[in-house]
Amino acid sequence: MERIIVNNLSKSFKNNTRSKNFLARLVSPSIKEKKEKFCVLKDISLKVDEGEMLGIIGKNGSGKTTLLRLIAGIYEKDSGSIKLNGNLISVINLFIGIEDRFPMKENVYSLCTILGLRNKEIKKRYKQIIEFAELKEFEGVELYKFSNGMIQRLIFSIIVHCDFDILLLDEVLEFGDESFKSKCIDKIQELLKKGVSIIFVSHGLESIKNYCNRAVWIDDAVIKEQGEPSKVVDAYLNSLEK
Amino acid sequence: MIKNELKQFFNLSFSLAKSEFKLRNEGSYLGILWYLLNPILLFLLLFIVFSKNLGANIESYDLYLFLGIIMFNFFSITTSESIWGILSHKTIFKSINFPRSSIIFGTVLKHLFSHLFEIIILTGWMLFSGVNIISILYYLPVLLFFILFIFGVSLIISSLLVYFADISNLWDFITKVLWFVTPLFYTIDPNSNASILNQVNPLYYFVTAGRDVVIYNHLPELNIILGIIGFSLIFLLVGIILFKKLEKKFTENL
Repeated sequence: MERIIVNNLSKSFKNNTRSKNFLARLVSPSIKEKKEKFCVLKDISLKVDEGEMLGIIGKNGSGKTTLLRLIAGIYEKDSGSIKLNGNLISVINLFIGIEDRFPMKENVYSLCTILGLRNKEIKKRYKQIIEFAELKEFEGVELYKFSNGMIQRLIFSIIVHCDFDILLLDEVLEFGDESFKSKCIDKIQELLKKGVSIIFVSHGLESIKNYCNRAVWIDDAVIKEQGEPSKVVDAYLNSLEK
Repeated sequence: MIKNELKQFFNLSFSLAKSEFKLRNEGSYLGILWYLLNPILLFLLLFIVFSKNLGANIESYDLYLFLGIIMFNFFSITTSESIWGILSHKTIFKSINFPRSSIIFGTVLKHLFSHLFEIIILTGWMLFSGVNIISILYYLPVLLFFILFIFGVSLIISSLLVYFADISNLWDFITKVLWFVTPLFYTIDPNSNASILNQVNPLYYFVTAGRDVVIYNHLPELNIILGIIGFSLIFLLVGIILFKKLEKKFTENL
């Protein structure tokens, strides 16, 4: 079954110089407003099957994260269609939903609720979550005392313990030590076996080659190449050398 | 589908409110008392200053003043915090798609918890002054519409703040104006010219309705009842529509 079907998706941002100041606009409406359109994605079409992991590569600013945000429904598309079969969770940033002053337990509960879990289910999974993150002894500690690595571990653990069929990951495997990383990868393989579909945006070309079934290379708002990960990565590297 | 969304909305609002409320009151022995101290001190100050002049002709001026202060407080504290609701959560808004208005409703609920403590103090006071405390139950419907009104206003100002950075300054000013325009520590003859201003001031309707049912034990006049229902539904509706409309573009402007 196809989990994600994206057809001819386009998106552009307005780059206007309009003042955000209400008074300023009121006092001097005559200030010239420059409106420029800036095309981020153009005619993107892709599909992701059940149990498939799709890697997305490309230079900074090529529109990779925008594509994820469009699929997740965080941004509104200009044209084209996006069809999703299943529950989606997006992880664009591993510092989401963090209230520094809250202890870890409160943070786990509020992030899980945001991700759609009920209190009852969170209670059941709470132990697994902190065990996976290897943070069992820090239950009552406020998050501002955590290191970045610890927070990322916690959030990753929360996310993989939620219910979803589609997972969008943006640059999130590049943290933690080697042992934790391999644990994450095992978890991801397990999810894939269960039929979860993953889109994985990364600059870690080795990870793309090793773990993805297919890869897409986005450059200047369009798909330059897609298919076998090693081929796509090579094409991307070649273009960089030129 | 809609039922599930509503369920998640309330679930999320409630859990956010609960943890924020808990957090605020942890770490200090006085806890919730610190929050309550503010309206109580303000009340004492105004009572000492005005009870012999502005309030001399008002029946049960102490309860009149206290209920006015806590209702206004609930409104002003909630709105001045929820106006930042979207801007201060931009990382999560840009990362996950979830019912975003629940962040705003969570703030309303959090301050509702504190408001309930104030109501408990008021009840104790009424008991002490020999007023029938059953009437506090009639405050519930007024409070319900008041919550809807505050939620609506919060939705409007928080979504406008994304587009107009100085709305927050304007809102500070508006709150101050409302504090003086609403008859909190004085009263206005409904037939006088000055009361015209109150016809368009939503807070006037809520505060009057609250006082009528709680302190004076009678049903508010028809125009007051229609006022609280009308203002709450209008603001809620405008708030929801505006938020829904602007929500899609929020994330690009954060």
